[in-house]
Amino acid sequence: MTEISLTINGEPVTASVEPRTSLADFVRDSQRLTGTHLGCEHGVCGACTLEIDGEPMRSCITYAVSCDGASITTIEGFDDDDVMEDLRQAFTENHGLQCGYCTPGMLVTARDIVRRLPDADEKRVRLELSGNLCRCTGYVGIVRAILAVLEKRRG
Amino acid sequence: MSDTGIGASVPRKEDRRFLAGRGNYVADIAAANEMALAFVRSPVAHGRIRSIRKPDGAENRVFTADDLDGVEPMRAPSKLPGYKPSDFPALAIGKVRFVGETVVACVGATRAEAEDLAQAVEVDYEELDPAVDMLEARRPGAPLVHDSWGDNIALATRTDGDMESVKARAAHSVTREFRMSRQAMVPMEGRAVLAEWNSRMDQLIVHTATQVPHLIRAGLAMFLGLEQRQVRVIAPDVGGGFGLKTYVQPEELVACWYAMKFGRPARWISDRREHLIADANCREHHYIVTAHADEEGRILGLEGEVTVDAGAYSIYPFTNCLEAAMAGGNLPGPYAIEAYGVKTWTVVTNKPPLVPYRGVARPGVAFAMEMLVDAVARTVGREPHEVRMINMVPASAMPYTNIARKTFDSGDHPGAVARAAQMIDIAAVRERQARDEPDGRLIGLGFGSYVEQAAHGTSVFASWGVQMVPGYEQAGAKLTPDGGLELRVGVQSHGQGMETTLAQVASEILGIDPENVSVIHGDTGLTPYSTGTYASRSIVMAGGAVSRACEVLVERMRTIGAHLLQCEPDQIRVAGGRVMGPGGDLPFSEIGRVWYINPEELPADVDTDGVEAVVGYRPEPDHGTFSYSTHAAVVAVDPDTGAVEVLDYVVVEDCGTMVNPMVVSGQVYGGAAQGIGTALFEESPFDESGQPLASTFADYHLPGAAEVPAFRLAHMVTPSPHTEHGIKGMGEGSTIPTPAVIGNAVNDALKRYGAEVNETPISPRRVLAAIAAAEGEAA
Ligand code: FES
Ligand code: FES
Repeated sequence: MTEISLTINGEPVTASVEPRTSLADFVRDSQRLTGTHLGCEHGVCGACTLEIDGEPMRSCITYAVSCDGASITTIEGFDDDDVMEDLRQAFTENHGLQCGYCTPGMLVTARDIVRRLPDADEKRVRLELSGNLCRCTGYVGIVRAILAVLEKRRG
Repeated sequence: MSDTGIGASVPRKEDRRFLAGRGNYVADIAAANEMALAFVRSPVAHGRIRSIRKPDGAENRVFTADDLDGVEPMRAPSKLPGYKPSDFPALAIGKVRFVGETVVACVGATRAEAEDLAQAVEVDYEELDPAVDMLEARRPGAPLVHDSWGDNIALATRTDGDMESVKARAAHSVTREFRMSRQAMVPMEGRAVLAEWNSRMDQLIVHTATQVPHLIRAGLAMFLGLEQRQVRVIAPDVGGGFGLKTYVQPEELVACWYAMKFGRPARWISDRREHLIADANCREHHYIVTAHADEEGRILGLEGEVTVDAGAYSIYPFTNCLEAAMAGGNLPGPYAIEAYGVKTWTVVTNKPPLVPYRGVARPGVAFAMEMLVDAVARTVGREPHEVRMINMVPASAMPYTNIARKTFDSGDHPGAVARAAQMIDIAAVRERQARDEPDGRLIGLGFGSYVEQAAHGTSVFASWGVQMVPGYEQAGAKLTPDGGLELRVGVQSHGQGMETTLAQVASEILGIDPENVSVIHGDTGLTPYSTGTYASRSIVMAGGAVSRACEVLVERMRTIGAHLLQCEPDQIRVAGGRVMGPGGDLPFSEIGRVWYINPEELPADVDTDGVEAVVGYRPEPDHGTFSYSTHAAVVAVDPDTGAVEVLDYVVVEDCGTMVNPMVVSGQVYGGAAQGIGTALFEESPFDESGQPLASTFADYHLPGAAEVPAFRLAHMVTPSPHTEHGIKGMGEGSTIPTPAVIGNAVNDALKRYGAEVNETPISPRRVLAAIAAAEGEAA
């Protein structure tokens, strides 16, 4: 067991973790933040995407012990974020989710796209989404939602 | 149409919790004292278990088949003559029959601890020759998957047509061979179960990721030796199903057994590797099809041989021969054909079981039939969409009973082809094809059409011989004391948006705002019996039942409302969430108040059943609804690398009345994207010893946003003459033609080589092989 101290959704957390425990299992099982989903546990599907120190990361292939001192934001931690608010609204208006399982990871990636690439076009948005799999929507509503938010923010 | 009733694109009520990260899937639920399960799985495709050694001191945490007292192997009966049932054990008994089969169960405080234990278990196997390829397994002398069977054929069927008379008139007989590869379904949430015994209720409470909670309850009770009242199945939020989550799984039985035996909750959450190698797979069909056609390309007669690789065991309840039965019944598609003969074989092999995936058999059927139609078009030198149109059942012939005795209820199939042809702009594509592309790629155009029987009723399921025949679908509607509405349905919504669309149906009848409606589903303890969500049936069946139940509430509210408003019941209208009489109106909350809180104000003739009704519904006739569609695509094929890019993709579909057009479109897009996966990327291959070769997302390729085209979609609306509100089922449809559309487009691009692909996925390797084969033939 290794002791770690980190910030999760703005709250300081100190915990003992096994070296083999992934960040995903740590936030889900120990912190009961179950909005972070597991779709593959080998770094391909993006369902487990959350933010570490402001960057989107795959929590299934990140060890909890490597996050000592880090600041983590999970899907539950974006309630006061205006980009996330726009995205949530756009996802529902454009039917960007069906079963909802990929949605938290999609939203974290989408927020990164909106902030990093304000001029992205459809092709670029699709390329940027290549690390997030959705089995339900055919990506149509997701891509439209992200484009709508980009457009809104370009004014 | 009200702005929240049938026909409105109401945003989904369920979105809020999912967008907030507050969905509640099985893996999100924690039970006090729970134990986690992990399994030792067979590393060989076919073998005898010589011995199992449990780690010392772990006897109470490691279990084999011998330990599972009271657990019966799963057996799915069928009434079809000649069907051979198989016993699918929760843990292997004596023999293992596919890589990934559950052999030993281990429990730990965490999944990691359970896996540690699983690694310490030693199992010694005597390897046997496996049956891997279905065509070889079909032959006499192949290794036997089930020793007592004598062969590997679970079911063979044969329907003869009067071929001689059509052959005499046919100018061409065009024969092709096709294969649709084995796949996994890959809902993003895998299978998951949490079982606990509740002594107070004398009940096993099973949270499980399923589409069919009432069927799972029946199966668990039967295989665990319980009465059904002792089992409650709850499907909370479910992260996609697509057919996978319709069968009782071995791991589920073990979790239930452990919870009962040790009085502690047990959970099993499958990981992706378990899904890819050990869950039931899907598809894997082989076809030899012949069209006897006249000079114009009119198909007079059709002959088919269909082989389905069903894997080692039949799943419960739908059996492993539903797939071949559907294939045999659907091969003629939307076409008016005079003579039809088909033979089908359901073959068992040393691979995971097969379970019907979105589209059930029809994507394979359409891959064979729709590519055969294009082969006919090439033979007679006509445009493929024209050949489709002259062969289709015209709108004027509806309702039409086809050669496979399916009665199409309504629709304009050739009209959909014409519309798709217009949207894809054939003239422009042909012109582009005639020029050379600057990058050397070849342009191809492909079409695909289908008719989708959905919401199959009692008579259809009864004819398939399966045990779980759907009857009258029931829904409960209850006015709450404060004037809200609760709907109870036995289907399960796992992406389809039924918490919204069923509320819209209620809104259509009662005028209530869907925001004030709760849809309770997926829980056998709270909902009326239903066979569940599959076969694109839920909005037809549960939607119809909700509609009828709300109509009963209207009648009941009329009596109470008339008394309160001092008028006659037939003067009362219920609309806009209010009860309206000639001289005034009341909100529903007033009706609720009087029934529940102040019954002293009730009229003498009130219906004593109150403001709650459970009503059953079945369309008449009950042969199902018939949606249909034509898709068209333009692809670019690189003849040097074999890579295929989808440049344009259009869909024209008709599913009758759309309850929520936004949701309908979402189903079309999602299904078509899965079809693109089947067409170009997804395959679960096995080597000759039966080892699975795709066990991670690095080797099992799902289409991502960059691989899926921006679909263009047009709706046609021909309401069903037989269902409430004219609704037709449509959830599966757009997976059906997609592999054929892409295959036809690729073959159109390759026609200068005379090359044809005939197997999914149409990978670069297969494209290059088709070109090489054609060039070899030419040389
Ligand atoms: S669960 Fe982390 S990438 Fe799939
Ligand atoms: S909405 Fe189901 S996986 Fe994306």
